[in-house]
Amino acid sequence: MLKRKRMIFVYYILNLLFGLMIMLPVRAALMDAAGYSLVGQHLAVKIDMDFLLEFIVKNSIAGSPMLLLVMSAGIIYLAANLFLSGGAYGVLAAGDVYSARLFWENAGKYFGRFLRLFFWSLPLLGVFFCIQFIETGVVRFIWGSDPYQYVTYWGAWVKTGLAYAGLLVYLLVLDYGRIIIVLTDERKTRNALWQVLKFTFRHFFVVFGLSSVVFLAGIVAVALYNPIVDALSAPSALIVFFLLIFQQFFVFIRMGLRLTLYAGQMELYKVASLSTDAGAVSSPSLSAQPA
Amino acid sequence: MIPKILLSIITCLSFCSGQQTIFTTPLSPRIANYDIDVRLDAKTRTLFAHEILHWRNTSSDTIRELQFHLYLNAFRNNRSTFMKESGGSLRSSKIEQDGWGFIEVKKLVLPSGEDVTSALQFIQPDDADTDDKTVALLPLVHPLSPGDSIKLSIDFTDRLPQPPFARTGAKSEYFFAGQWFPKIGVYIDGKWNCHQFHATTEFFADFGVYNVRMTVPEQNIVGATGLQVEVKKNGDGTATHFYHAEDVHDFAWTTSPEFVEFKGKAENVDIRVLMQPDHADQGVRHVEAAKVAIEYFHKWYGDYPFPNLTVVDPRRGAGGSGGMEYPTLITAGTIYGLPDGLRTVEDVIIHEFGHNYWYHLLASNEFEESWMDEGINSYTEYQIMNDRYGPEGDALDVLGIKGNILQLQRATYLNAATIDPTIRNAWQYYSGNSYGVNSYTKPGLLLTTLHNYLGKEMMLKIMRAYVARWRFKHPHSKDFVAVANNVSGQDLDWFFNQALYTNAVLDYSVDQVSTREVQKQRGYDYTSSTEKADSITESSEKITEASAGDSTMYLSEVKVRRLGTFTFPVEIEAVFQNGEKLREHWDGNDLWKIYRYTKPSKLVSATVDPDRRIPLDINFTNNSKTVEVQSLGINKTAIRFMFWIQSLLDQPEWLNLGTFLQQLF
Repeated sequence: MLKRKRMIFVYYILNLLFGLMIMLPVRAALMDAAGYSLVGQHLAVKIDMDFLLEFIVKNSIAGSPMLLLVMSAGIIYLAANLFLSGGAYGVLAAGDVYSARLFWENAGKYFGRFLRLFFWSLPLLGVFFCIQFIETGVVRFIWGSDPYQYVTYWGAWVKTGLAYAGLLVYLLVLDYGRIIIVLTDERKTRNALWQVLKFTFRHFFVVFGLSSVVFLAGIVAVALYNPIVDALSAPSALIVFFLLIFQQFFVFIRMGLRLTLYAGQMELYKVASLSTDAGAVSSPSLSAQPA
Repeated sequence: MIPKILLSIITCLSFCSGQQTIFTTPLSPRIANYDIDVRLDAKTRTLFAHEILHWRNTSSDTIRELQFHLYLNAFRNNRSTFMKESGGSLRSSKIEQDGWGFIEVKKLVLPSGEDVTSALQFIQPDDADTDDKTVALLPLVHPLSPGDSIKLSIDFTDRLPQPPFARTGAKSEYFFAGQWFPKIGVYIDGKWNCHQFHATTEFFADFGVYNVRMTVPEQNIVGATGLQVEVKKNGDGTATHFYHAEDVHDFAWTTSPEFVEFKGKAENVDIRVLMQPDHADQGVRHVEAAKVAIEYFHKWYGDYPFPNLTVVDPRRGAGGSGGMEYPTLITAGTIYGLPDGLRTVEDVIIHEFGHNYWYHLLASNEFEESWMDEGINSYTEYQIMNDRYGPEGDALDVLGIKGNILQLQRATYLNAATIDPTIRNAWQYYSGNSYGVNSYTKPGLLLTTLHNYLGKEMMLKIMRAYVARWRFKHPHSKDFVAVANNVSGQDLDWFFNQALYTNAVLDYSVDQVSTREVQKQRGYDYTSSTEKADSITESSEKITEASAGDSTMYLSEVKVRRLGTFTFPVEIEAVFQNGEKLREHWDGNDLWKIYRYTKPSKLVSATVDPDRRIPLDINFTNNSKTVEVQSLGINKTAIRFMFWIQSLLDQPEWLNLGTFLQQLF
């Protein structure tokens, strides 16, 4: 992870910028409401439920614009991530030695293809997301339209698990699709999509297992993170500063995990495709650069 | 008063000997008494019933007509007043396509044997909407003189709505019958008080004795108001359950073959909980909550005179019958997997049991003064929940998030505080939300404010006196106020007039605080002067001077404003840099008040209502002001918020948790 620190830093800066974009209006509203109030002081220790409820009720009119901001930010962030991933995969394919030129050129080079890949994959997203409705069908088949609540309750857990699994499979397809585009320089995204579907389901357990490990590592990290942050409740500027540093360090690690996943996936693809002879593999190089 | 244990023994002996007597001396006037035989046809969700109504004219008037509630006709079609006002849905329930319900009087016979069914006519005393058939009038050929009684024989048929809608109905094998029989109105203050059934109204009736025999499928369990006398198997696949209740003003019952029974006891009250099979793991929790309710009400507000309480857990898909009160029977509601820290079970049971005081014993008119049952009950609910499960997180204590029921309820008040006065006819509020706020939340908050103002002991005295003086009667708002004035020894009309009869909002704020160095004494003359500020209303200042010496002095100013029209005495606390705290008392009548201090220490902050004893204040955030900006807490909150945004951006699939929660609830 350390050798990719500059790439991780690029991802981190993007994440931080978007986080700030959404956070700053909320901070401004909080400051306006409680900046010169003892409530603002008490927030340094714990959330005041009376204030929180008053704040939500009084700012409910800003809910729609805020939701629009968050959704817009999410969409732009997704596109920006696609852009950066071109650079990341390009660097990883070229031997995992970062250079700014290599990174940004590959980011630009592959962005169009990645964007087309994303749009072509959306129907697949729908299909994989609908995997969760297998639960609905099974419940309806076995228990009818009026099941006992424990069936509904545990079914909701199963359904959520299936939904996450479906999403993970979709993300796998998106990841390996990008890997194939970079390694084989495939220009037809539909071909890339077809190849990735074949690859993913041929090596399903391995590829799903790798992604699941990283996904679960993220959950474990959050579970470890929360008690530490709760312990940082003393109302001092130093503690709040340390909280910020700790949180951002955590985000940095998450970005690192993501790039580690990309690297792992790329290696896995290379090994698996060599063993099954699933297409030519080439790495982008500096020799193809314009004069 | 007969000790509760002796009462239990007498009751048991009476029932065991076949006599139906719960109280050797009637507790209430027993004006409206019912004997009802009803048979349930489960397939068609129909009740076939025969009712004998004994009604006494306890007024000094000659009665020339009788008026009845036929509540189930509210669900007859989409043209009833109820359905028009509700828009077809209530408590997240909607009637299914073929789920309409009704009540039909088939035959009405006088004591003389005369059939007067055709004389029964529908009336609409509230809105003149002739489509509404929830009130019927029977002219009396032979008027009733004061003191006379009449006995009517009524055959009627009910179709219960499906699913349970607005408290009553059927869902598959589960039946809940509330407001299901022709119910005579209340003759009071020289006229009939018999309102139509509206979307936001509840009920009003006289006390009496009920003997009800319910014939249901043999395998069914029955829960009902009152005590079970006997269960008789009829040999045809049905069984008849006979229940007897005294000094009650309503009778509800439920039946299902799937109930799982749990039992308990508190203060010599037998508790019976009827749980759904998929909630059976919460049976003990329901029993314990009922015990808490009974014990607290007994300790704080007076004796619960009945020997039993039944708690019903509605079936899945029948939530419309949940969260409701009837004499000696309440309905709760839960979901499978409910965390212990989400105390909706405890809260609803304490609230619904509370109605056995505020609604049953104190039988106020829920049509016209809904705050007297819902609002007073909300107040007692807040007190009990906080005492038992608080002080923090009495309602919500999950994953480190804590919330009190009063805080959560107050949030609903914030947006609807000015729309209506607290008291008005329940069907005449601006909206269902305004009805809810003015019936439940605002009265709960204003009584909590009064509780904090008078002190807990005094407030308990008032409530106990109210129960003792008005139990088994029909109190009005003015009666409650009179008790409060009398017991407290104060004239509290200034409070109640604002709180109950206006839409005045209470909002005090610290508008400005400042502190500046005062120049040391120099020159020929120096006099400390009081500045007379210009103002629209009377103003006053308070100056505290320390000795001028050579130390640096600071002139600090605190400006407090009354932003709302509700006046209330408040405390203001000024805090200085050296740790000194000064408390001032203001009667709160003027529009503003300025306090000035000359001290060797800077002012740091000022707070109105520093102990947060006025929950009726609509804005706590403006109650305090600091001289310096408090960015630390804001930044910490913003940083934590930003982290979750950053995480969601990186892993947006976590949003799927929303789908999970939506499926559970």
